[in-house]
Amino acid sequence: MPKFNLTRREFLKVSGASLFLAGVPLPGFTKNKPPGTISVIMLEGGMDGLTAVPPFGDPNLLKMRKNLTSNNFLKLNSFFGLHPSFQYFAGLMAKNNASIVHATNFPYVLRSHFEGQNLMQGGGLSPFSDTTGWLGRALDLAKVPGRSLSLDMPLVLRGMSDNDNFYPASIKSSSDLMTQLIDTISMAHSKEGSEIFKKVSKKSTQKDSIVPRNPASLAKFAGKAMSRDGGPLSSVIKVDQFDTHANQGADENGNHGTQLTLIDDIIAGYKEGLGDAWDRSIILTLTEFGRTVLENGTGGTEHGYGSAGLLAGGAITKSRVISQWPGLAKNEQFEKRDLMSTIDYRSVCAACIEKSLGLDHDVIASKVFYTPKLPRVYDQIFS
Amino acid sequence: MNEQFRVAHKLGLMFLHDTSLPEDVKVWAISQLHAKSPALGIKKIKLYPKAKVQEWPRSLQPDLKKRDDMFAIYKQNVRKQRMELEGHTSEAAKRANNRDNLMGEKDEMKFAHRNVYGKDQVRLRFTSFWANHFTTGNIWDNQNHIGHAIDEAILANLNGTFSNMLYKMTTHPSMLVYLDNVWSSGPNSQHVIWAKQNGEQAGLNDNLGRELLELHTVSPSAKYSETDIRNAAKVLAGWGIWPGNLSDGLMTLDERNNKLVEMGETTNSWDFFKKWHAEPGNKTVLGKVIPSGKGGLRNLTDFLASHENTIMFISFKLAEHFVSDNPSKSDIDYIANAWRHSNGNLDQIHSAVIERAISSKAPKFQWPMTWLFQVVRLSDASFFKGWDQIEKYDQGLMEVRKIFEELGQSFWHTRQPNGYSSAKSEWLSGEMFERRIRFSDAIYTAGFPSFTPQDIMDRIGANEATRELVNSLVGRKKQFIALMCSPELMGLENA
Repeated sequence: MPKFNLTRREFLKVSGASLFLAGVPLPGFTKNKPPGTISVIMLEGGMDGLTAVPPFGDPNLLKMRKNLTSNNFLKLNSFFGLHPSFQYFAGLMAKNNASIVHATNFPYVLRSHFEGQNLMQGGGLSPFSDTTGWLGRALDLAKVPGRSLSLDMPLVLRGMSDNDNFYPASIKSSSDLMTQLIDTISMAHSKEGSEIFKKVSKKSTQKDSIVPRNPASLAKFAGKAMSRDGGPLSSVIKVDQFDTHANQGADENGNHGTQLTLIDDIIAGYKEGLGDAWDRSIILTLTEFGRTVLENGTGGTEHGYGSAGLLAGGAITKSRVISQWPGLAKNEQFEKRDLMSTIDYRSVCAACIEKSLGLDHDVIASKVFYTPKLPRVYDQIFS
Repeated sequence: MNEQFRVAHKLGLMFLHDTSLPEDVKVWAISQLHAKSPALGIKKIKLYPKAKVQEWPRSLQPDLKKRDDMFAIYKQNVRKQRMELEGHTSEAAKRANNRDNLMGEKDEMKFAHRNVYGKDQVRLRFTSFWANHFTTGNIWDNQNHIGHAIDEAILANLNGTFSNMLYKMTTHPSMLVYLDNVWSSGPNSQHVIWAKQNGEQAGLNDNLGRELLELHTVSPSAKYSETDIRNAAKVLAGWGIWPGNLSDGLMTLDERNNKLVEMGETTNSWDFFKKWHAEPGNKTVLGKVIPSGKGGLRNLTDFLASHENTIMFISFKLAEHFVSDNPSKSDIDYIANAWRHSNGNLDQIHSAVIERAISSKAPKFQWPMTWLFQVVRLSDASFFKGWDQIEKYDQGLMEVRKIFEELGQSFWHTRQPNGYSSAKSEWLSGEMFERRIRFSDAIYTAGFPSFTPQDIMDRIGANEATRELVNSLVGRKKQFIALMCSPELMGLENA
């Protein structure tokens, strides 16, 4: 029998994270300026909500997940704990600047990464049916100028043109970008290619401070950009490697724990970069699904349904764990294997949009999520 | 572009300067499916004259058994290093261990060389398509397997049937390790029964079973259930070794081989079935009853390979990769029909792709990797170091691994099992376009191309818009960058 005493992989691990900035108001755009900023941390692979925020008050947790649950979890209340990777986040909870939504997900139950990731970004109900994303549509509705359909990555931001991603190049023997050259190339391209070269050209005139590539520094960079007057109203950071089918581990050094530490670092990076703008900021995590309640045969978990969402930012003034806990007993699980989702995570996204972009819930429900009857959970999070 | 280069842009990697252009490009492209070319490359970069292109040395292309042995030795040395045993702790010892036993960098360089110098450009493009379709990645102990899978499971089986390639890839250790199957055992297997008696952990892992259905064959359009997925995982249970685990105990190679024979009756990790880990009894997947035992998997992969949903799903992927960014229904049907009529013969399927790619006049946006190879071939630049230079620092030239990392595309990176998208929309971003400009610059500056932008435009028969763009600029470097980032060479529409 395998002993699963793997050490951390020693191979090159490419790009820990990528950053996308969006919603840059045009100069002079001050009227009806949205009240806050919204940032999304996309966790690809399926974050395990039961590892991240263990419901230790549920008697079934340790029965079913002995090897997956940390003994050193931080206690949040009499029922929920927090994984030891979340030291910084725990501090924010103590300062009433962070909350957790548990037993939640997008209404998608088929457990495919790629359909799930498409839906968590598209915000609709049927995978690969949307060409725009929920955050892009929300920024459009908030009338952040410079709108038009763009094919830029990632899907969650599509719907608006003035977004860009950020992962600085480090290519030996290439010199600084030459604006005039890029403008000339841009003019030779049709609209779609041309607009993208224009972005590169615009970047060539900016004095880029050197941006390190680790996720926390990217978050700090994003926070700084968003804190500036006229800076972007939104940012997205993507982190992968949550798909721990084997050797998931329980503690900070486990394969899931190291990924959770990244989330903690990213939130700390945002806080530092945002400075005073922290007070009007909201940051939320997204993941395509949770993982099975039971450990599988190889020290990991399979694709599941319900997970947890982490919210942080000065826009939160009272820390809570928001949950209608469904229970972990077999007959309480979704299809007798997964944590049930009792809160539609789109409601959480809608509340964050309402808070940061100042849109009306009914408008968000029908125009961003195409679900007029989407429940409103704003008061549970922000009151 | 003239017809030869237009076709080579869509289906190949561009004609090398010393290759004459074929008169009938369709005949040429189809004949390319059987072109024979060894892995060509260079030992060391030379600028004047350019380094001699020669076959990659056999010693740098070990077989699978040797690769597994090398990795076992690597793991042993790492273990000795952790135990702080004498002779294993110095930086030099660590470097030597990496150099002698890890294949990732060598394989990635060989892949780059092959694509830059190969005489079988169309075959290489189809190889990359399938390598991406059957994505594996550099996780766990997989580093020494990826290049072997691309060469031996994909390229070597390019003239057979899809069903054979599917089986060869599904059973390749690169896949079995990447999608965790090496650790899976049937819930009613002898192994799990023993494990339970001893209070140990063992059981099913459905990762490969799921992706076999979702990504490699029928796709979600087949509306399979969780039970289908679990049953596919049960058919797969027992397949594969986890080589790292076997070396953890500081076994000698002989002891390790004995252990392998005991577990799977062979030391061949490409045909490794642990019967004590297999799930007894028949399993039903999408209505098909699959018998137990080692032969069950071939039943399953053959069934899935000829499934109508597989044919439609992959015909679309082929059309989107080679024919146009928005393939028509008739493009897809044409490929699917060739598939049905030939029972999944890859030569027939690929010929159908070639015909539609040629008859469609639409441009096709090219992956960063493909574009890079095309730029280097067109200009005859020396951008990839030689196999003797893997360890040597160069002031102007990047490590091969680093080139692909910066390009944002590599088969040796950790990534998601759905691989890289062929959809243009996934690649249109400032970040990716900035890299095209910078790489054109670097190839010009550090690679000393043999040909000027004018030479290249004349040879490929560049269109008016491209000539106008290039000629509007002063200076060869700017002209070179503009040519390589022109709509024509990127596979985009002109203004």
